[in-house]
Amino acid sequence: MTVSCPQGHASATSDYCDQCGAKIDGSSAGQITEVLEIPPADVTSITEADRCPDCGAPNVASDRFCEGCGYDFETGTPGETSTSPAAGARAWEAVLVADRAYFDRVSPGGIEFPADTPAREIVLDRDELRIGRGRGADPDPPDIDLASDPAVSRLHATLVRQEDGSYAVVDQGSTNGTRLNDEPEAIEVGAPVPVAAGDRIHVGVWTTITLRLRPS
Amino acid sequence: MTKFIAETYQNEFLPVDGAEVNAIVTVTSLGGAVAAEPVAAAEVIIIDTSGSMSMPGAKLRAAQRATAAAIDSTRDDVLFAVVAGTERARLIYPDAFGLAPASEATRAEAKEALGGLTANGGTAIGSWLELANELFNDAPDAIRHAILLTDGRNQHETPEQLEKVLETCGGRFQCDCRGIGTDWEVSELRRVASALLGSVDIIAEPSEMEGDFRSMMEQAMGKATADVSLRLWTPQGAEVAFVKQVAPTIEDLTARATRVDAQSGDYPTGAWGEESRDYHLCIRVQPREIGDEMLAGRIGLVVDGQAVSQALIKAVWTDDEQLSTRINREVAHYSGQAELAELIQEGLEARKAGDEGTAGLKLGRAVQLAGESGNDATMRLLEGVVEVEDVATGTVRLRQDVDDADEMALDTRSTKTARVLDPKK
Repeated sequence: MTVSCPQGHASATSDYCDQCGAKIDGSSAGQITEVLEIPPADVTSITEADRCPDCGAPNVASDRFCEGCGYDFETGTPGETSTSPAAGARAWEAVLVADRAYFDRVSPGGIEFPADTPAREIVLDRDELRIGRGRGADPDPPDIDLASDPAVSRLHATLVRQEDGSYAVVDQGSTNGTRLNDEPEAIEVGAPVPVAAGDRIHVGVWTTITLRLRPS
Repeated sequence: MTKFIAETYQNEFLPVDGAEVNAIVTVTSLGGAVAAEPVAAAEVIIIDTSGSMSMPGAKLRAAQRATAAAIDSTRDDVLFAVVAGTERARLIYPDAFGLAPASEATRAEAKEALGGLTANGGTAIGSWLELANELFNDAPDAIRHAILLTDGRNQHETPEQLEKVLETCGGRFQCDCRGIGTDWEVSELRRVASALLGSVDIIAEPSEMEGDFRSMMEQAMGKATADVSLRLWTPQGAEVAFVKQVAPTIEDLTARATRVDAQSGDYPTGAWGEESRDYHLCIRVQPREIGDEMLAGRIGLVVDGQAVSQALIKAVWTDDEQLSTRINREVAHYSGQAELAELIQEGLEARKAGDEGTAGLKLGRAVQLAGESGNDATMRLLEGVVEVEDVATGTVRLRQDVDDADEMALDTRSTKTARVLDPKK
């Protein structure tokens, strides 16, 4: 299918002309960054075989584990957050606070501590969650969006589920590093560090993330 | 499959008649949440066994120990070989021509073969790489990586011979290069590493070698995706001024493009583990009317021939100077880092040529830029060559008693960049 651009070119892309680059009306405007995951060509025809038998999420990339629930397609083992109530495993959650003590320790000055920021709780319901700083028009904002903390990187770190259901934190090459508890040294980029309940993950200039099991 | 994300940082607003569009594109490879099947990998370790490696003998012994450590770091079934280089290349392990699959037994055999090495002869780096390239024929589907260690200049072949080999080997395998001691040529090894998409560094002391080899190997083993390219589409009438990798190190990719069609080119970036790299793109477009918006570039990632992710680079013409004169923070930062690397290389050249005035000015400005951008690693290296009086104004005095190794370390690592300024400093 082709569309016609303002200059009259026939373009195979509908956002901007694939010949002259002119903006084609009707496409999303004013957005500087765009993150696009181009799925394989046959994405429009997801068959039952491509779906997770446990939660029904499509498995377009032929991954071993279901993105929805962690179901193992190879062995047929249900994921940690299996939708069947029998699984009974307690879920983890992350508690996000603007941490005054941490801020006082690391702030370079010139940054104001955000008073009256309520704590937030985010249920960890996936094998991998991204911690980062989203922007206004971000089509794919981080799962744990710390938009207000100026020292958090766009993609700062990820929380990755371990085999036993607990999580490890992986710094994704953040500008300012990720620290655990009172360690002065940031954790190594790219290396998963297991996080126990009650451990404090410090990112940015005031954010402290604490993981805990959800009260059942 | 590994997930890639591409993000653009730019000020898309151009003034009337503005034609130059700058953007930083950050590409992040997230890897999978679960370990994928181990990827097929092939590894050739090349060690210089020219006569000078026995002066002092500690160098050769350290190279043997380091190579043994690297061999120990190979995963089972990684195909590997060890090559000793003089004015010609000699296969040390395995005995029969080819690559051996790593196992407890073959690792032990390889380490035993290492023990018999003696240092005697000249240096012809091209011939070593040529042998590695032939050995890699054994592993057409693997991620192919080599480590090259040398202590001297490439004396026993012409620069043209070396260049020809680099042309043949480029895209066939990646090679991390290390110079030991201070008798090797930084520009020569940088050229090899750059052509083969690898890193270059100095190992000043033999004792540092083992740890360095082990970490190079671990990094190589961590690569999960071979042959990733950046594909840049530009509109008709536009011209790609440059495409540079700017983090973790500066590498100009402009001349490496292979044409895909009239408007698109592919820039090779080699194999990726879980990592993030930044690219600075500069595109010249035909200026349009105030209020017009156009796409100046569409940058995509091509993994094993398949497009996986893309980001857009835009241009919007405005008569609002507040908008058009703003320089994007990331673009400004990396323009500064590129200037920093150039200043260091030019400053050191001037110093070698005895032009202390120019050297002082260039290295002084480098100190200023390193300070402003928070590039502490480069600042420490600069301090080995100049005495810093004032960072803010770039006032420095050249040191008179500079250790050769310090100077070479500064030269070698000048292309290593810092990411955007750490606000805590």
